[in-house]
Amino acid sequence: MDMAVDMAIDAAPNGDASAAAPAVAAAHTSTARLAQIAESLKLEHQLVRVPLEHLKKTIRSNYRLAEREFTAVLNSVAEASGSSDSRSMDETLTRLSSLVTRLQGLKRKLEEGGKVENVQVQRCRARLEHLGSVADADKLDDWKDARLNRILVDYLLRMSYYDSAKNLAETADIQELADIDVFFEAKRVIESLRNKDLAPALVWCAENKPRLKKSKSKLEFQLRLQEFIELVRANEHMKAIFYARRYLAPWAATNMKEMQRVVTTLAFRHNTECSIYKVLFEPTQWDYLVEQFKQEFCRLFGMTNEPLLNIYLQAGLTALKTPLCYKEACSKEDPLSQEGFRKLAEPLPFSKLHHSKLVCYISKKPMDHENPPLVLPNGHVYSTKALEEMSRQNDGRITCPRTGEVCNFTELVKAFIS
Amino acid sequence: MELDLIQDAFDRVSKKQKLSSSKTQQLVRQIEHEIEQAIMKMQSTENATSCPELKQILADLKNKLNEFSPMNQLETLQKDLNITLGKYVKVTEKSFNPDISKAYRNVDFDPHIVNQIIASHFYRQGLFDLGDCFISEANEPEAAALKTPFLEMYGILESMRRRNLELALNWASSHSEWLAQNGSNLELKLHQLQFVEILQNDSVQNALSYVRKHLAPNASAHKVEIPKLMGCLVWSGKLHKSPYADLLSPNHWEKLADEFMQQFCSCLGQSYQSPLSIAIAAGIHGLPTLLKLESVMAVKKQEWQAMKQLPVPIDLSKDFQFHSIFVCPVLREQGSDENPPMLMPCGHVLSKQSIVKLSKSSTRPFKCPYCPLEASVAQCRQLHF
Repeated sequence: MDMAVDMAIDAAPNGDASAAAPAVAAAHTSTARLAQIAESLKLEHQLVRVPLEHLKKTIRSNYRLAEREFTAVLNSVAEASGSSDSRSMDETLTRLSSLVTRLQGLKRKLEEGGKVENVQVQRCRARLEHLGSVADADKLDDWKDARLNRILVDYLLRMSYYDSAKNLAETADIQELADIDVFFEAKRVIESLRNKDLAPALVWCAENKPRLKKSKSKLEFQLRLQEFIELVRANEHMKAIFYARRYLAPWAATNMKEMQRVVTTLAFRHNTECSIYKVLFEPTQWDYLVEQFKQEFCRLFGMTNEPLLNIYLQAGLTALKTPLCYKEACSKEDPLSQEGFRKLAEPLPFSKLHHSKLVCYISKKPMDHENPPLVLPNGHVYSTKALEEMSRQNDGRITCPRTGEVCNFTELVKAFIS
Repeated sequence: MELDLIQDAFDRVSKKQKLSSSKTQQLVRQIEHEIEQAIMKMQSTENATSCPELKQILADLKNKLNEFSPMNQLETLQKDLNITLGKYVKVTEKSFNPDISKAYRNVDFDPHIVNQIIASHFYRQGLFDLGDCFISEANEPEAAALKTPFLEMYGILESMRRRNLELALNWASSHSEWLAQNGSNLELKLHQLQFVEILQNDSVQNALSYVRKHLAPNASAHKVEIPKLMGCLVWSGKLHKSPYADLLSPNHWEKLADEFMQQFCSCLGQSYQSPLSIAIAAGIHGLPTLLKLESVMAVKKQEWQAMKQLPVPIDLSKDFQFHSIFVCPVLREQGSDENPPMLMPCGHVLSKQSIVKLSKSSTRPFKCPYCPLEASVAQCRQLHF
C-alpha cells in the first residue's frame, strides 16, 4: 500500500497547436489522477487525529485512576506501619482487607478501561486502513461516496443534528469512520448550556484543565462570568461578590477589562436599559457560550474549527466560479446554475485560467487537440466530432443549433487555440 | 504519502499501549499479592495481639512495596507510552496538512441555504427518511417541497426495477414534446423494452397489438426500429437463439433507468449528478492549491477575504468543465462580451483588445504572433463558443 507519489501541479494546456501524442497524454492523465488522489489524502488529518486524541484521553484517565489508587494504597500501608501507637490485629486486618478490595475494584476498572482503549486503537487502525484502500481502483467511486458522506456526517454532528448523523452513518456504513461518540460527549454539555445549566461545562473544563491551559483557553473564565451574571440577575449581590472573589479574581490579570465590564453589572440591574450592559443579560450570551465550547472542543480533539463541508464547499465554489456561471445560458450540469449555490458563491473570488478551456455546445465534450474546434461562417464554434456526426446524418449539411443557419461541412474552418 | 510509515508508527503505539495496559494490571496483582501475604502472615501468628510481630509484618510489607516501587514503574510506563504517542502525532502532522481551514474565508455562509442544499441532496439520492429527519432537526420545513419530484422519480425507478414500465411510459408520453425537443428517444426505447417483455411473458398477439397501438402511429420516425421488432415476432419463444438475442440483455434495463433519470433531472432543470457532490469534489481537487496559495502569499486576512479573482489557476479535470472559457494567449485575459475572441484568417485566435493593440490603427495590417501571416482588423471575425 505504498503511495509515495510525486506531485505534479501543472497539467499541460489543452488545445495545443503542437499536438502531443495521445499515448503520452493518457499516461499523463493517470499519473495526474494518482497525484491528485495523493494530494487529497493529505487533507485527511482530522480523520486520523480525532480517534487518536480520544485514545490519548482514555489512556490518561486510566493512568490517573491507577495513580490515585496506588498512591492511596501505598500511603495507607505506610501509615499503618509508621504509626507508633498499638493497633489491634483486627483493625489492621480490616484495613489490609479493605485495601485488597480496593485493588480488586481497580483491576476491574482497568480491565474495562483497557477494553475501551482497544476499541479506540482498532478505530485508529481502521481509519488508516481506509486511507490505504483508496489504492483499490475498482472501489474508488465507493471510496469517494464514502468521503462525501463523511463530510456530511461531520457537518450534521457539528450542527448538533445527531439523529440525522446517526442515520446517515448507518445508511452509508461509515460508522467506524465517523466520530459520533466523540460528539456525544459534547452533546451533554451543549444541551445543558442550552438549558442555562453551566455545571457540565465547568466539569468538562476541570477534566481538561491542563490542555485548556496550554492552549490559553478562556472558556472557563467565560463560563464563570455567566455564572456571575446569573447571580446578579437573581439579585443575589453578596453571593455574586463572593463568587467573583473566588472564581473571577484568578483570571483578572489577563482579562481585566472584561472582568470589570461584567462586574459593573452589579451597579445596574438585569433589566437595565444601558446597552453595554443590557447585552450581557441577553439569552444570546448562552448561544455565544455554546459556540465557544464547540470551538474549544473541536480544537482539543484536533478537528478543524469550521465544518469540513464549509471548507470544501467554499474551495469548490471558487474553483468552479466563472462569470459565465451567472448567465441564463449556464449549463444545468454546473452547480452554479442553481440559485442556492450562486448565492453562496457571491462573496468568493472567481477562478482563473491561464489557458483556454473550451466545451462544445452540442456534445458538452471538451474541444482540445483530440477534438479541435471548427468555425461556422456565422462565427459560432463547435467540436469537430459533433460536426462530423451532424454532417454524416444530414448529407454534409450543418445547421447551427443556436441560430438555425445552414451551411456545408466544407465551409468550416479550423481554429487554433492554445 | 508514505502510508506504510504512518502505519508502522501506529503499530508501535498499539504495542506500547498493550504492554502498558498489561504491565499495569500486573503491578496491581503484585501489590495485591504482597498485601495478601501480609494478611496470611498475620492470621498465622500464634500470638494474636503481639505488637512487635504486627509491626514487623507491616514494616516488611512496606519495604517489599518500596522495593519494586509500583509508582515509579507506573510512571515509567506512562512516560514511554507518551513518547511513542508523541512520535506518532509528529508523523501525522508531517504527513498530513494539520490545518486545512487556513484558506477558509470568513464570509457569510447562510446556514439556511446550506441546509436546503443538503436536504435536496438527500432527496435526490433517494434517502427520503434521512431527508425528512434532517429537515425536522434543522428546522427547515419548507425544504419538504424539494422532495416531491424526486419521490416521483424514485417511484418510477422502483417500478422499472421490478420490470414494470407503465409509470415510465406515462411520464415519457406526457413529456414527449420536451423529449423530442431535446433529441431524446427515451419513449421509443421504453416501448421497445416493453415489447420484448410482452413477447417473452405474454403472447405474440399482444406484442403485435402493442406495436400497432404505440409505434405504428409514428412509424416514419421509427423506420429502423419497427422492422427489427417485427423480426422478433418470428423468433418468439426462442428469442435468445435469434439474431436479436441482445435485446434480452439485462443491462438494457439499467441503461434505460439511467437515461430516464438523466432526462427526468434535465426536464426539472437540474443536473444528473448531485450538485453538492460536484461542488465538494471540485473543492477536494482545488483545496490543496488554495492552501498552498495562502501559505505562499502570506497576505493579511483582509486581502485574502477581499480577493476578487484567484491569482493562480486551479486545475480541475474535464469532468468539471461546464463552460467554454477563452483566454487570450497574448494578454492572458479571459474573454468577455466587451472583449470577445476573434478569428484571424490564419486560423489563430486572439482577443479583440490584443488585435486592436497589435494593429495600432484599424486599417493597417498586422502580423499574427504565431505565424508569418498578416491580417487587417476587418478580416478578423468574432467567435462564439
